[in-house]
Amino acid sequence: MKQTGYFINKELPAEIDSKLTPLMREGDRLIFVIVGDLTRKAGYGTTAFAVTETRFITVDPGLEGGVSEGLISDVESAAVKRMYGNAELRIKTKNGTTVTALRFTYAVATLCDMAAQFIGNVAAGKDLAEECETVAGTYEKLLCVCPRCGRRLLRPGAECINCASKGKIVKKLMKYVRPEAVRLFICLLLSGLSTALALLPPYITKTLVDDILPNKRSDKLLLVVAMLGGSYILGVTINIIKAYTLRVSSDRMIEALRNDVYKHAQYLPMKFYDKTSTGSVINRISGDTGTINGFVLRISQEVIVQFFLLIGIIVIMFVMDWKLTLLSLAPVPLVVVGAKWFGRRIAPFYRRIWRRWAAVTSVLTDSLPGIRVVKAFTGEKRAVERFEQYNDEWYKVDVQSARITTAFPQVISFVITCGSLLIWAVGGHWVIAGAGISAGLLVSFISYTSMFYGPVNFFAYLNDSYQQALAAVERVFDILDAEPEVPEGKGEKLDKVEGKIEFRNVNFSFDRTKKTLSDINLTIEPGDIVGIVGTTGSGKTTLINLLMRFYDNYEGDILLDGHNIKDLDIEFYRSQIGYVQQEAMLFRDTVFNNISYSKPGASVDEVIHAADVANAHEFIARQPDAYDTMLGERGVGLSGGEKQRISIARAVLKNPSLMIFDEATASVDSETENLIQEAIERLISGRTTIMIAHRLSTLRKANKIIVVDQGHIIESGSHEELMALKGKYYRLVEIQSMSDKIRASKESENFD
Amino acid sequence: MGRIYIRGDEVRFERKDSLTVDAIFYDGNVIRDVEPRRLFPVSGGNKYITLLDSNGKEQALIPDLATLMPESRQIIESCLSEYYMIPKILKVLDRTEKFGILKWTVETDRGEVTFTIQNRHSDIKIFYDGRVLVRDSNDNRYEIPDNRALDPKSRKLLGYDL
Repeated sequence: MKQTGYFINKELPAEIDSKLTPLMREGDRLIFVIVGDLTRKAGYGTTAFAVTETRFITVDPGLEGGVSEGLISDVESAAVKRMYGNAELRIKTKNGTTVTALRFTYAVATLCDMAAQFIGNVAAGKDLAEECETVAGTYEKLLCVCPRCGRRLLRPGAECINCASKGKIVKKLMKYVRPEAVRLFICLLLSGLSTALALLPPYITKTLVDDILPNKRSDKLLLVVAMLGGSYILGVTINIIKAYTLRVSSDRMIEALRNDVYKHAQYLPMKFYDKTSTGSVINRISGDTGTINGFVLRISQEVIVQFFLLIGIIVIMFVMDWKLTLLSLAPVPLVVVGAKWFGRRIAPFYRRIWRRWAAVTSVLTDSLPGIRVVKAFTGEKRAVERFEQYNDEWYKVDVQSARITTAFPQVISFVITCGSLLIWAVGGHWVIAGAGISAGLLVSFISYTSMFYGPVNFFAYLNDSYQQALAAVERVFDILDAEPEVPEGKGEKLDKVEGKIEFRNVNFSFDRTKKTLSDINLTIEPGDIVGIVGTTGSGKTTLINLLMRFYDNYEGDILLDGHNIKDLDIEFYRSQIGYVQQEAMLFRDTVFNNISYSKPGASVDEVIHAADVANAHEFIARQPDAYDTMLGERGVGLSGGEKQRISIARAVLKNPSLMIFDEATASVDSETENLIQEAIERLISGRTTIMIAHRLSTLRKANKIIVVDQGHIIESGSHEELMALKGKYYRLVEIQSMSDKIRASKESENFD
Repeated sequence: MGRIYIRGDEVRFERKDSLTVDAIFYDGNVIRDVEPRRLFPVSGGNKYITLLDSNGKEQALIPDLATLMPESRQIIESCLSEYYMIPKILKVLDRTEKFGILKWTVETDRGEVTFTIQNRHSDIKIFYDGRVLVRDSNDNRYEIPDNRALDPKSRKLLGYDL
């Protein structure tokens, strides 16, 4: 391709280039190319969709001649038809025919969405330069993906944590090792000392056997035995001190690591929790951190000690007699090869065991909090069966791995024993034949050999524990490396928040298969009370989720007082919002602490005032323990309406500039609804308020109503305007007033 | 709920385009421009096929494709195979892993392809009959009909992941 400066998602393949180049014309600039991955017959293959200022071109081996082109000016509309695992870009021309311009997998779906929008807008006569800017934005965002692993990056060109080298892991773990460096170094010195001491006894034994015993030197005997005893006592003392110091620093390391993982987990975006079960997160914080810590200790301590022990023994042995040394080294290759084989066999098992175990814990975390549902639907037996089934799966895999893990050490120690047999047989023969080897030398050699296999064994197993630790590291760093929702403490803080909110061309999908929100444009003026209505699943709550910044991966912009909310400090931003959910979420704590959760350190007066505003004070005062009432898990002990009022009090206390109610009154009776409604009306005066509501009566104060349907805003305006429009809102009101009338007449029947 | 069930030869299907059909009833009723979709795309295969109109509203339900007339069945099946693209993995050519992100290069019934899997725990589903469903980082789906029936090299490569 001669022209440059166009956008493309990957390198242009030669076979596409050769088809595309002849179609390029002077004066008709190429704007972007999408390299696709599927032919129109739904087989994998390289295709392309190119768009110039006036034309669109498809290169697809499934087409007759391999290419086709069309004029943008002939286009009536363009849209992406999403199917299962694949999608099509369909273009409808003004003469009424619809053509499939490109078929593709979801890998390029975002680009094709953009292409459809571009072609549609340009055909409708919108400004080309402006559309090109959107194209540039989409491609730029795409480049925010690590080219190697496909992981989304925080900003273009950022380093991908996933693709960092193994040295990076060490560096990361160093963060926890460094504060303990002095202690660990002391431990290391102590270990070195005790190792050196351990090398002494066999040497002393040699003197005993070769010198003192044959020469009957009773005077020296006591001295040498005392030396032997002294070295044992010293060794034990050193080991006690070392073990204690090591325990302290290892506990400190694990404490720091656990704290970090928990802290990081708190800041992870909702997207992470949508995909990862809480059980597995708990497992990682409680179990995996320990495994990692154990491994760090092994690496920082034992590896060094064992290494020097190994070298020390070999050197001493060689100095004493090289022939015997070679003899005792003979089984080493067997041990090493065996360990390698073992490592390969065992690695998948650790993973499988962990997976099965995670499944077991996820049954726990699933069924115990939902115990009411389990009991209500008499699911106890099923829950038990399910647990037993998963537990049994775990059992099977663990037993499978036990076959290898238990047999292997025995086999290794057998091989080592064979080694000493060899020394007895051959060495003993040399002693008898008088080949320059004394009995004492032979005895001390046997001791050294048995010591020698300690480190060999250690290194043989190192791989095993490395594998185990690696699996744990992988899971813990999955949390530590996951991009937190926003860099902490960064971003603007506004002096004063007026409460103007704008949604500009917002599009969002949880995954690429289905668009949850499309083309949302919305302006909310300060002090507005906005009602959002729509059927369930229409996207109302998602709209709020975006506004709360629970999800950041939407397209388009959301602005607060003219500032992009992504540029604001997240802590500051969220502190401006009072959020009341449909399901009141209360912590296992006192009523007082539950209310003051939104404003730590709030005075008693403030909390009581907030409870007053929320119509909660009275019922709290009626409780025997009043504000000190301990709530059970999820607020057990209070009615739904009472919990809801506590959560409203929580929002009140914060004194936010923006209030959001997500069907706050959906699950309470009419009387409580009135109490809550009253509280809400007190609360929202002068604040920008967004209310999602099923019961349209809740929205009587709203000065603007937005109707959402299938991810689109289909109507917006005041109650009167929408009623006059006789659209969806009108129909919803009709239905509800009808059912209200029925209810009213039934109630009056009952009371008569 | 007045759901229309289609259980036999009372209906003839006519193909409109690659994804849509007309259902012509024996009694003269016609349901136009409906898309067949699976109600159980993961577990059910050709049982419970729903027919959706262009607004996504269900117009009729086919409990079992096997009860239809052969030509009608063929039409529905070809619509479904257009809509649902779940390549069958026949052979695993390469598997690498970095920090928990897997990269598989596989041979499927639709050609060779390389993809990444973000989360081994939630994106790979193994069934008792040996079937494995895989979702890649772009939300595309793949299927291994029976992982025990794969060739030894593929099985060895996947030993870490299954």
